[in-house]
Amino acid sequence: MDAIASAPAADDGRAIQFSGTLGEFLPIAISNFLLTIVTLFIYRSWAKARERRYLWSRTRFIDDQLQWTGTGLEMFIGFVVVAVVLGVAYLGFVFGLQALVARVGPLALLVVLLLYVGGFYLYGLARFRGLRYRLSRTWWRGIRGGSDDPGFSYAGKAVGYYFATFFLAGLFYPWAQAKLWNQRWNKMSFGPQNFEATMTTDDTSKPFFIMWGAIVVGSVILAVTAGPGVEPGRPSEPNPIVALLFYAGVGLAYLGFLSAYYRAAAEWTRIGDIEFRFNADFSDWLKFYAATIGLAIITLGLAMIVYNFRYWRFVTSHLEVYGTVDVDQLTQSQTRAPREAEGFLDALDIGAF
Amino acid sequence: MQSGSLFDGSSARAHAVQVAAEKDGIRIELDNGRVELAPTRLLRRLSEDQRQVRLIRSDVEGWSLRLDKPLADDLLARLPRDERYGRWIDKVGLAPALIVLAVLTTGVVATGYLAPHWIAPHVPMRWERKFGETVFGDFRGVRCANPRGQQALETLVERVAPGATKGPDGVKVAAVDVPIFNAVALPGGYIVVFKPAITETDSDALAGVIAHEIAHVRRRHVTEALIRELGIGALIRMFAGNLGANAEQMLALSYTRTNETQADGDAIDMLRRAGISPRPTAALFTRFSKIDRSAAGTEWLQSHPLSGKRARAFDTSFDPHARYEPALSDKEQAALANICNGRESKSE
Repeated sequence: MDAIASAPAADDGRAIQFSGTLGEFLPIAISNFLLTIVTLFIYRSWAKARERRYLWSRTRFIDDQLQWTGTGLEMFIGFVVVAVVLGVAYLGFVFGLQALVARVGPLALLVVLLLYVGGFYLYGLARFRGLRYRLSRTWWRGIRGGSDDPGFSYAGKAVGYYFATFFLAGLFYPWAQAKLWNQRWNKMSFGPQNFEATMTTDDTSKPFFIMWGAIVVGSVILAVTAGPGVEPGRPSEPNPIVALLFYAGVGLAYLGFLSAYYRAAAEWTRIGDIEFRFNADFSDWLKFYAATIGLAIITLGLAMIVYNFRYWRFVTSHLEVYGTVDVDQLTQSQTRAPREAEGFLDALDIGAF
Repeated sequence: MQSGSLFDGSSARAHAVQVAAEKDGIRIELDNGRVELAPTRLLRRLSEDQRQVRLIRSDVEGWSLRLDKPLADDLLARLPRDERYGRWIDKVGLAPALIVLAVLTTGVVATGYLAPHWIAPHVPMRWERKFGETVFGDFRGVRCANPRGQQALETLVERVAPGATKGPDGVKVAAVDVPIFNAVALPGGYIVVFKPAITETDSDALAGVIAHEIAHVRRRHVTEALIRELGIGALIRMFAGNLGANAEQMLALSYTRTNETQADGDAIDMLRRAGISPRPTAALFTRFSKIDRSAAGTEWLQSHPLSGKRARAFDTSFDPHARYEPALSDKEQAALANICNGRESKSE
C-alpha cells in the first residue's frame, strides 16, 4: 500500500480511492442544472456545495472518507458581499475617471495601469483565498486544513509574476506558475502540519518552450498561408485546414505541459511524512480531454454537467500518496476558518471546483 | 445499540462507539466508558453510502460520527433529515420547487423586459441631451446647411406638432446628405432626416414620417430602446456623461412593435390636427411594403418594419369631408428640396 496511518489500514493498496459512480452523481448534476436555471444562477453556490459534498464523501484517504462541510448559503453570501464591493468600485471608477480625465488628462493612463494592477491583485487574492477556504471546509478524521495568512502578500507577488510573464512574451510563465504554487501551498496547513512546496521548473520548462514554440511557429505559418483579405484593410482569412492543425498542435503541446506541471507539483509538495506523486502521463491527459470534447459534442454540451465528476475521478485515480500519518499527533487545526468563502473566486468567475 | 466510530475533533484518533436512541437525540457510549448526548437539532446529516451514515455537530468543530448500516428504526427517527437540495427545497420537494421557481423566474425576466418601458419616462431629458449632442456631432461632415431649406424643415416640424421645436427639451431637426432612405430619432430630442427621405417624397408624406419620429421622441421610445439594448448600466453611464456609444449604434436601435404602433397612432392624430392628408404617407408605406426588405438604401424599413396593415391605418384615417391643406407652400417645398445644396463645412 502507498501510505499507512497508525490506525486501521485500507483494504487494498491505494491510499486515495474514489468510489463515486455516475449513477449516483447524475441525479445531483441534473437537479443542480435545473435549479440553477430556474433561479437565474443563484442556486450555483448550493449546486457547488452539493457536488463537493458528494465527491468528497466518496473519496477515501487511507482509511477514512473526506468530508466537505461548506454550505451553499455561506458561498452565496461570500459572492454577494464581494460582488457588491466590486460593483461599488466599478461605479467609483466610472464617475471618478470622468472627473480625473477632465483634470489631469494624460495622467489618466496611469490610472488605467493601476486598474490592471488591481485586477491582477484581486485575481491572485482570489486564488489564494479560494484554496484556503476549500482546505478549511475539508475534513479528514475530524481534522481540517486552512491557513492564517490573509493572502495579501501572495497577491502582491502574483502581480509581479504576471507582469514579468507579460513583458517577457510569456517565457517566464513556467517559473511564475512554480513560484506561485510554492507561495500558495507553503502558507497552507492541515491540522498542525504545514504543507511544504519546493516545486522547480526542471521538468516543466522544456514542455512549456515546446508549446511556446508551437504557438510562435504556428502563428507564422498561419499568417503565411492565409488567403487574401476580403476587403482591403480587413484582416485576411486564415486557411481553415492550417488553422485546425494549429489549434490541434497547440492543444497537444499544452497537454504536454499540463502533464509535466501536475507531475512536478505533486512531486515537490509534501506535508509531514506524506509525499505525493501524480502518475498521469501525456496519453492519460489526451484520453481525458478527447473524451471530454467527444462527450460534449455528442450531447451538445450537456455532458459538461458531469465534467467536475470526471475531472475529480481523473485526479484522484492518478494521485498517489506515500508515508505515514500518526493520528494521535494529527490534532485540530488552529487556523481561523474564513467567512467570505469563495466570494472573490465567484465574483471573478474563476475555478471549477 | 448501534455500532460506529467517532472523531471528537481534538485529534485524528477514532473512538469505537455504541449509539442508542434517546429523547430528542442520540446517546453515544465511547470505548473509554464516557457517555455523550447529542441533541437531534444540533446534528447535520452530511453524507451517506451503502455502509455508513455520517453526521456532524453544528456546535462542535470536527465532531464526526459514523454509524454502521443498517440503522434501527428508533435511532433513524432521532437523526435529522438527509440534506439534499437545500433546506427550503427539501421541505417542499424538488418538483414543486422547480415549478414555483420557474414561475418566479419567468416573472423576473418579464419584469426585466418591461422595466425599460416603465423607467424611460422618468429619465430626465437633460441626461440625454449631452449624449444626443455627441451623436449628432458625428454627422457634422454630411449635414445639409442651406439656411432656407433648414427653415422649411423646421416649419414642417412646427406644422405637424406646433411648439415642438420650442424650449430646452424641444425637437432639433436636421437633414444629412447620405444616400439612404432613413429618418431617425436620437436621444435628447434630435431628429435626423436623410436626403432621399426629402427628395424622393412630397412634403405631406415627409410630414407623416416626421410626425412618427416626433412621437418616438415624446413617448421616450428612444430612451426605452437605449435601456433595453444597452442595459440599465447605460443610464448610469449617460448620467456620468460618457455612454461610450456612437451614431452607428444609435442607428441600429430598434423599437418594439407596440412602440411602432403607438407612434403611428400619434402620427395619425398629429396629421389630423394639422389638417394634412394621411394618404401620401399611406402611399409611401404601401410603396415600401412592396420593396424587397434586403434592398440597399432602405434602412428605414429595417428599423421600422412596414406592413400593409400599417399603411391601411393611415389610409383609413382619411376623412373625405375634411379640408386638407398641403404641409408646406410651393415656395417652402422648393427650399426644402434644396436643403443639401450647401453643406456645412467640416471645420464647423
